[in-house]
Amino acid sequence: MKYLALTIFAAAVALSGCGSTTTVDDYRPTSEPIDIGAGEKVAILGRRDAGHYETDRDFIECLAGKMDHSDFHVMSEQEFIDALYPWFEPRTAPKHLKRLKRLMEEPVIKEKVRQQKIRYLVWLDGEVESHGMSGAMSCGMGPAGAGCFGYTSWDKNAMFEAIVWDLVDLTEEARIRVDSEGTSYVIGIVAPIPLLTPVESQACAGMGKQLQSYFTQEVQ
Amino acid sequence: MNHRHWSIGLLMVALAITAGCASNVSIRVDETFPEVVAEPRDLNATLVMDQAFQTYQATPNSKTRILIGPPQVDLLTKAFSGLFEQVEVVSSRGLAGPNADLVIIPSVREVQLSTPSESYLNVYEVWIKYNLDIETADGVPIDSWFLPAYGKTPSSYLLSRTTAIEDAAVVALRDAGAKLMLDFFRIPAINGWLQQRQAMRAEQ
Repeated sequence: MKYLALTIFAAAVALSGCGSTTTVDDYRPTSEPIDIGAGEKVAILGRRDAGHYETDRDFIECLAGKMDHSDFHVMSEQEFIDALYPWFEPRTAPKHLKRLKRLMEEPVIKEKVRQQKIRYLVWLDGEVESHGMSGAMSCGMGPAGAGCFGYTSWDKNAMFEAIVWDLVDLTEEARIRVDSEGTSYVIGIVAPIPLLTPVESQACAGMGKQLQSYFTQEVQ
Repeated sequence: MNHRHWSIGLLMVALAITAGCASNVSIRVDETFPEVVAEPRDLNATLVMDQAFQTYQATPNSKTRILIGPPQVDLLTKAFSGLFEQVEVVSSRGLAGPNADLVIIPSVREVQLSTPSESYLNVYEVWIKYNLDIETADGVPIDSWFLPAYGKTPSSYLLSRTTAIEDAAVVALRDAGAKLMLDFFRIPAINGWLQQRQAMRAEQ
């Protein structure tokens, strides 16, 4: 009984340590919901132009899943960049609204966007960083068996920013920044037991919830 | 005797692992590219892609071969179709008709590969360097344009070496198409040729 209580206590301490803190900051020029017509699409695109990192594709897929709504369609990143090839490749994609406006002056591109019913573009930028590793763990193998002993921990920080562009009105509709941080552990008691902090999924959930709340169905 | 058997066994395992590490990798890039979204100019072009270009196999190092011939033919055909109203693809310079405004002969100058074991980065990178010899239908050279393209994998985690190199090569080929669409008519010699052509037409 005593051991059971101790085990539950140890597990609770360990799991509470794996929790993450998520902060969502957003900016919108208006509090009105973003209108989206029936059949119109929202595309999500990750930034790929930075040399040392790329916006994680799993995060983009996660966000698309969180935003998916029966009233509007979320266009996958590959579907979007293929539909408008080569204007949203890392080399050519507009990084600012001014460039987007210039791009949309091309009748053929504007027509393609209209034809595909792509109304909004969510530009996503960010990454997950690990730092502050501490502790020590050693693993060994012998004739009698193998095992790991020790303890190690590290901090993880997920920072993502989403900018919502209206591809028809050519305006910036919203800007959201999500920070999620937490500490992951690996405890070695013969077998290594990983207790990982879900910073990326927390950031995805926070941003997805916020983005979805912006869009409403406009019945036409 | 038993100890000797163990030693031989361990040696065999070590040799197998070492042989595995040193194996040659042959990668076939299987990709068809999307049609480009562009308004072509009212010009005709002949694209000369010979057999060597169509079946081009890059050897960025002695252990790696990347077959990029078929996808680069698909990419360049589609990209040039976004630049010119009519594009004729032929397999030798002699087959180019006299009615083309421009004759373009692409060739691969070099393909480079960088792997995590060399760069200590968690990505595979591919550089493809093309050369486009551009001339008029009657063989007057206009320019020899250097077209570099770059591609990398987002991360090499959970990717096999062949998949990662193939992914990076596909990104590099897409980048070649993007650069071509963006810069072809900005090449000073092409721009000058276009202006000269317009001036001649205005005079007639």
